[in-house]
Amino acid sequence: MNKLIINSSKKLLSSSLNKNILKSQTALLSNVVPDNRIEVFVDDKPVLVQPGVTVLQACAEAGVEIPRFCYHERLAIAGNCRMCLVEIERTPKPVASCAMPVMKGMKIKTDSPVTRKAREGVMEFMLVNHPLDCPVCDQGGECDLQDQAMAFGSDRSRFTDNLFSGKRATEDKNLGPLVKTSMNRCIHCTRCVRFASEVAGVDDLGTTGRGNDMQIGTYVEKLLASEVSGNVIDLCPVGALTSKPYAFTARPWELRKISSIDVLDALGSNIVVQHRAGDVMRILPRLNEDINEEWLDDKARFSYDGLRRQRLVTPMVRGHDGLLKPCEWDDAFYAIADKLSRASGSQIAALAGGLADAESLVALKDLMNRLGSENVFVEESFPGQASGTDLRSNYVANSGITNLEQADLVLLVGTNPRYEAPLYNTRIRKSLVHNELKVALIGSQVNLSYEYDYLGDSAQILEDLLNGKHEYSKFLAKAKKPLIVLGSAALQRKDGDALLNLATRLSEKLRTQNGCPNDWRVFNVLHRWASQVAALDIGYRSGIEQIKAQKPKILYLLGADEDLVSRVDGDDTFIIYQGHHGDRGAEIADVVLPGAAYTEKSATYVNTEGRAQQASFVVAPPGKAKEDWQILRALSDVLGNPLPYDDLDALRKRMGEVSPTLTSYDKIESASFLPLSVSLSQKVKPALSKEPIRAWQTELGDFYMTNPISRASLTMARCVQSFKKTNEPVKQTQANANP
Amino acid sequence: MLRVIKTLKNIKPIASNLTAITSSFHTSSKRLGGGDAEFMHRDTPDNNPNTPFDFTKENYARIEAIKGLYPEGHKQAAVIPMLDLAQRQNGGWLPLSAMNKVAELLNMPKMRVYEVATFYTMFIRYPIGKYHIQICTTTPCMLRDSDSILHAIEKKLGIHVGETTKDKLFTLSEVECLGACVNAPMVQINDDYYEDLTPKDMDQILDDLKAGKKPAPGPRSGRFASEPLRGLTSLNEPPKGPGFGVRSDL
Amino acid sequence: MSLLVRNFSKLNPLGSIRSYSEVVNVFGRRSVDTQAADEKKTIATIPENTESVKEVSGHPEVHLTGRLAKIYVPPKNSMQSGTFGTRRWRIDFDNRDRWENPLMGWGSSGDPLSSLQPEFGSKEDAIVYCQRMGFRYVVEEEREIKRRIKSYGANYSWNKRTRVSTK
Repeated sequence: MNKLIINSSKKLLSSSLNKNILKSQTALLSNVVPDNRIEVFVDDKPVLVQPGVTVLQACAEAGVEIPRFCYHERLAIAGNCRMCLVEIERTPKPVASCAMPVMKGMKIKTDSPVTRKAREGVMEFMLVNHPLDCPVCDQGGECDLQDQAMAFGSDRSRFTDNLFSGKRATEDKNLGPLVKTSMNRCIHCTRCVRFASEVAGVDDLGTTGRGNDMQIGTYVEKLLASEVSGNVIDLCPVGALTSKPYAFTARPWELRKISSIDVLDALGSNIVVQHRAGDVMRILPRLNEDINEEWLDDKARFSYDGLRRQRLVTPMVRGHDGLLKPCEWDDAFYAIADKLSRASGSQIAALAGGLADAESLVALKDLMNRLGSENVFVEESFPGQASGTDLRSNYVANSGITNLEQADLVLLVGTNPRYEAPLYNTRIRKSLVHNELKVALIGSQVNLSYEYDYLGDSAQILEDLLNGKHEYSKFLAKAKKPLIVLGSAALQRKDGDALLNLATRLSEKLRTQNGCPNDWRVFNVLHRWASQVAALDIGYRSGIEQIKAQKPKILYLLGADEDLVSRVDGDDTFIIYQGHHGDRGAEIADVVLPGAAYTEKSATYVNTEGRAQQASFVVAPPGKAKEDWQILRALSDVLGNPLPYDDLDALRKRMGEVSPTLTSYDKIESASFLPLSVSLSQKVKPALSKEPIRAWQTELGDFYMTNPISRASLTMARCVQSFKKTNEPVKQTQANANP
Repeated sequence: MLRVIKTLKNIKPIASNLTAITSSFHTSSKRLGGGDAEFMHRDTPDNNPNTPFDFTKENYARIEAIKGLYPEGHKQAAVIPMLDLAQRQNGGWLPLSAMNKVAELLNMPKMRVYEVATFYTMFIRYPIGKYHIQICTTTPCMLRDSDSILHAIEKKLGIHVGETTKDKLFTLSEVECLGACVNAPMVQINDDYYEDLTPKDMDQILDDLKAGKKPAPGPRSGRFASEPLRGLTSLNEPPKGPGFGVRSDL
Repeated sequence: MSLLVRNFSKLNPLGSIRSYSEVVNVFGRRSVDTQAADEKKTIATIPENTESVKEVSGHPEVHLTGRLAKIYVPPKNSMQSGTFGTRRWRIDFDNRDRWENPLMGWGSSGDPLSSLQPEFGSKEDAIVYCQRMGFRYVVEEEREIKRRIKSYGANYSWNKRTRVSTK
């Protein structure tokens, strides 16, 4: 064992050096001619960097990390904390490395006596007004100030409280139910202010007063009304902004951190679920440049308390008195087997909800097929008239999330990405700020947190754009890298077929006529539910209408909680509900099978761009609940028709057979069947509805509680409550149709 | 002490009272009149988001002129003059609704206007008397006995620094150097400087203001501006002609 | 990167010989001085070994079979700006149930591997470790961090949206 560890240290030392050099090479070779680079010396080590980068970035390339508070990779440079001071040869004073661009041959000294003294001095000033709260501060243990005071600060302070005035005291602000403030601890780095203004697009935070009396706040008391407000907690380098729901519940070193993914929207943001002894204590974002960068929206971050409430913990069967009664697994299975034995295949239907994982979707479909039924449906409908769900390029965000940063025009159709996929919206906003992206919207006129061109809410506009009749067509025609983002909410309309048809045809027209690069994809579907793409990949179809018409004898709900079917639709339908929350589905069920939520199973989800990712097992499902695929596997055994997989590996192999995309993790399979789809879609001519296109969610209050988990969350309920209390009407965006 | 207690009546927690006492020793902005000089807005009956405020027609014309000074796309730079305009229109102070109005007119986030308004001490964000008396007590004025002027005002009006008279006519603030050291001691009342004051002068000025008259601004000592009081002490002869003091052999 | 090094070792006439210059503890941690130069003299070389140690490792069979090890580079903690924790490859084992000890309320587990988080200088080392211990493993490739050129001047640019009105 020992020997092995020694073995493993091979190249350890050289590796971090090599790695950085390699990193810098890959980073720089990607798009710039090497000749362009200039050489600077970091602690006498030569490093080649692009011109225009800052001294701090050059040091990072060289593997030297400069202490900082106000500087953040994803925010504008502020240069106000002065912690990043370094000595540069032949400059009279230490230089703030975060704001200083490199110059050729610069000799940067990151560990010289001058640098050390500068850092000590800055740290001393910061600590003059920073309270000694560490033992009672939630940031303790993961605090930049704590760490950097240890690493770069002095071991004593020259601060004497001559006037006995105490340290600066600042009133705590009330920013709503998510962000707890303790403003005495604030060091005025303004990261939160910059985040709110640049990324969230909500200019509510600012600095009032000046000098020693400056404070961060909203001046008037108001809720920090943003769907991504939780990120200011991460950004805050001290404990001034901490999480309200997490307050005083745990210390970072007690927590076990499991990498996973979020399923509360269709982006599949990467997260770290942190738990202690079987309780999820908090959820933090995990860096993934391709999806969520390092942000996370409030629903994903704070609805974890919903995982503990309203849970189904035991199988239940509806008794003769009409009440659901707890029972054993066997009893529930036998009750189901009894009913199933008396139904033919065509009388059975299954309906999968928005949080179902690919494993259980495959298992459910296999089971249904074995029972002779082809009636496997998803709640979220998707048009199927032309090529519909047969071609993958019809139902994924073909261009991916990152390409939003390359695009020069985005046309949003029937979607409000701000609340349907907040981090997709921050991406659009980022591109808008940095790359002069143009955004146009057809649908409800909502506040997207940035200015856009509002085209109207009639479906007819799409057709006009296609025919070049609309005045906005000239802008579309000029775009070299256009994107069309069709919201899946719009596809729920009766004329969903027509919208999809028009959107794909318009996309294909733009792609072929605008001279886009070869690999550029124009058409995107922005989904609302994490399960949707996987379900369509597996072969689920939309069929609420069919269920309502057919009135199947047995209906299997796999986490279908959106109230689309009800008891009224079929009085004698035997409804089996499998899921994790006692929500709308369980209410109408005859048999309830308790399943696992996304933090309780190792499960595959495919996000809206078609990227398969795995959620991890973090804590065990409560009570008698089991992982979903295991329930289906056990049920198939009872039915005498066992599914041919006994473990997750075998099931994943089967998933690969169904669709290879489901198991090629973290890759996007580029789908290029759009031309084919368009040629197919030209054959059908579905009619457009006169009804205006409406957004699913128009204001922040709608955003918080959209699925069984967030509906069970007390924190989310508080958010809705405080939103209603502030009762601020939605700000009208100053958008004009004629830019 | 009474003064301290009075100025603190608006601040809730006791702990922060202590800080406020001491921080007022070194922060001039805290000593401005009106009591609450905190950088947080609290709704009061006469200052809340619903307080009616709109610019007058004349002022809208002025706003156009002000905005015309700044290039297209950078009209937000007009925020300071516009806030000043609002403050003048509103009797010397700036209600929240006026800041909101300025934000609306300049199409900028409200918070950005609040930031500007709280940064500058000349924007006063709470109701204030008709006459804002700003007395300078910085070193040159202090050496010229500005304390006696301060006491005269306090005695006359029955208010202390940071307070407003009951009739809402006067607010007294203590400020740092106003740049009229040659004419010390001095006070600024609204836009006018009253210089070379004696307690008697101060009394008279206040009486005049109370009576609705406008006392003449400027030095009270009979000087025109900052020239020496008793005639020139230097440069009092005609200037010497060319060649003065030059060696005779040159 | 480590592939690069590996190729060099192939060129080495001594064959596959591994070298190390400093003994590192289980967690791969060295001295706390993060700024010290990384080049140190090689003090010993030990031959590469791939034979299985599963049988003699002393782990109960029940904890070895069926375990899935994830080899990955830990991401930066989003709560902090430091990146030192993201420089090595780490192994996490598939998570198993934990519970609260009814006596003291401490977190308890029946899984000894849950406390084992070995770190390695390279992916290949981690793979060798898993192979010799008989763990199934998946490798999560390292994510490249995109560095963008940032400039302080952008805050004041007169015709771009990067112009900020904030601090």
